[in-house]
Amino acid sequence: MSRRIKSLQLRLTLELALLFLVASSLAVGGLIYSASLTAGSLADRELGLRAEDLARHVSLDNAGTPRLELPPELKQAYDAAGQQSVFEIRDKEGRLVDGSTPELGAMMGRWPAADSEPSYFQLSRFGPSGRDYSGISVQLDSAAGPLSVLVAQVAGGNQLVDSILREFVFDVAWYVPPFVGVALLLATYSIRRSLRPLRTVSAEASAIGPGSISIRLPEADVPTEALPLVVAINRALDRLEQGFTTQRRFTANAAHELRTPLTIITARLDSLEGNGQLSALKEEIARMNRLVEQLLCVARLDSIALDVSSPVDLRQVAEEVVGSMAHLALAAGRTIALIGADRPVVITGNAVAIGDALRNLVENALAHTAPGSEVIVEVGRDGGLSVLDSGPGIPVEDRPRIFDRFWRGKGVRTEGAGLGLAIVMEIARAHGASIAVSERAPSGARFELRFRPA
Amino acid sequence: MRLLVIEDEDRLSGILKSKLGEAGFAVDIAGSAGDAEAALELINYDVAILDLGLPDGDGLAVLAAARRLGKTLPILILTARDAVEDRVSGLNAGADDYLTKPFALTELIARIKALLRRPGGVLGITLDAGNVRLDTVGRDLTVAEMPVNLSRRELAILEQMMRRFGRIVPKAVLEEKLYGIDEEPDSNPIPVHVHHLRRQLQAANASLAIHTIRGVGYILTENKE
Repeated sequence: MSRRIKSLQLRLTLELALLFLVASSLAVGGLIYSASLTAGSLADRELGLRAEDLARHVSLDNAGTPRLELPPELKQAYDAAGQQSVFEIRDKEGRLVDGSTPELGAMMGRWPAADSEPSYFQLSRFGPSGRDYSGISVQLDSAAGPLSVLVAQVAGGNQLVDSILREFVFDVAWYVPPFVGVALLLATYSIRRSLRPLRTVSAEASAIGPGSISIRLPEADVPTEALPLVVAINRALDRLEQGFTTQRRFTANAAHELRTPLTIITARLDSLEGNGQLSALKEEIARMNRLVEQLLCVARLDSIALDVSSPVDLRQVAEEVVGSMAHLALAAGRTIALIGADRPVVITGNAVAIGDALRNLVENALAHTAPGSEVIVEVGRDGGLSVLDSGPGIPVEDRPRIFDRFWRGKGVRTEGAGLGLAIVMEIARAHGASIAVSERAPSGARFELRFRPA
Repeated sequence: MRLLVIEDEDRLSGILKSKLGEAGFAVDIAGSAGDAEAALELINYDVAILDLGLPDGDGLAVLAAARRLGKTLPILILTARDAVEDRVSGLNAGADDYLTKPFALTELIARIKALLRRPGGVLGITLDAGNVRLDTVGRDLTVAEMPVNLSRRELAILEQMMRRFGRIVPKAVLEEKLYGIDEEPDSNPIPVHVHHLRRQLQAANASLAIHTIRGVGYILTENKE
């Protein structure tokens, strides 16, 4: 096969099919060959029996001359056969006792005397009929003493043997295709079955992502031949996970260690009375505080599977977030409002994480909305949680990328580190919630988290 | 007023001691859970500030020990934002407020004062915000030292807002407080009372502003101009 077949299953099946065809052809060929051998020896035995038959009917007449006295049915058979069978009998001195065909007599005269050990011969295009004969020449004892008997028969003249042989070959040939077919089906099934653990492994492998690096491929049912590959992949995953964990732990530790000095700096700065430079410094420290918090949040989301199995009242979460951020909004010269459902909207999730997500969305909205305008948090009765601002909105071409870590819009004031929306995305993903960004008329953006109803 | 700061980070507790001292508090420092429990047992502090991450034990254990000793002093928990579960269990375990690290000193002082202003607290009698002073016992209100007359409902609303100065006062809290004032069914909803209150504060030239946070409640802040 010049073109490589990539499918192991297809390749095995094709090779097996080829193997089956060769093997069954050999088997059929062998059967035919041995059948024809059997047929040949059957024919030889029949010739021997005929010779003995003929010899048995030779006796000495009154004058002491050997004579052939065939029973009528045998005589008729030899005569009517139309030279299907020919014979010739001579006594030990080589004198002709009887014969069916003069040509045979002429030929036999040239041959050495027959032996008690039968000798077989072939005659091609013999006699008036010009057919092929196979025959036997043997010395036999009779009532008239030892005789040389020669019997020949038209080759292939034995119809019984031939028809048995033909029928046998035909039958065998008939059985071969279904046999090959069934065997191939069984083989295909067995190949599929043997490959099933590999398919399971593939399915497992495709589930491995940055969020699920602790998954290992199952080694239990994998065939021995494929096991080294699976084991090697698992080892590679071990090393990757170790790397990931180290990196995450580093981020978490770094952020954590940064927090204490930041708290101290914040406190010291707070206690200073100063000029505009000091307040600029305070703003910078506030930004850094936020960044460290977000880094910690990202590291936490990366390393710990979020427990999203508790009942959460979205209305209550929104109320707490809006309430706790109201003074920030006012300090920034904006306002904030909560609208929508005025009754509990209960979903299944993690209230703290949803609060974090909402806080990030609100921070984002406050940063982008115009001074004096209102940021609106809306709780939908159907499990929607939206944040609306009246800023410039998000250009359509940017929308797929705004949830990437450290992504920041072009020409946008470098307010944050670009982690907020990535955090929102992670939290939404952990909840199986969808997140949609849309336009708001006349201007502004609307971020909507849609949770599955409890 | 005597304050216990339970914090193992020396640099931070040092700043807290000096700055809270400047704000008029007498501050003791406990650097470990053991020290804290001993100090709480010995001295009747007015407020304790408790960092949950202590070297020799869980801060929540200190909290539980204080409550077990029958100490009813307000306890404010300092916690990291990534340990929000701590803050939830802290509040459940009897903490009165929490603040996430890093925090602004002014915020900490405001929170401490708010705790002290609670009914029964040390500062519970007189509330000050801007040029407004409210005597919660005598129900006397002065703006820039001029007496101002308000209805009982308006006074009750203002008191709640002053107790939580700079922080959100949920509408539900106001409803609850007003419900206890008298039995007769209230014809006016809270926004109407707030509207009246706002007008009268303005008329009296109060340096305070009441902001409405739609759907949540109100915030009392100092006027910017």
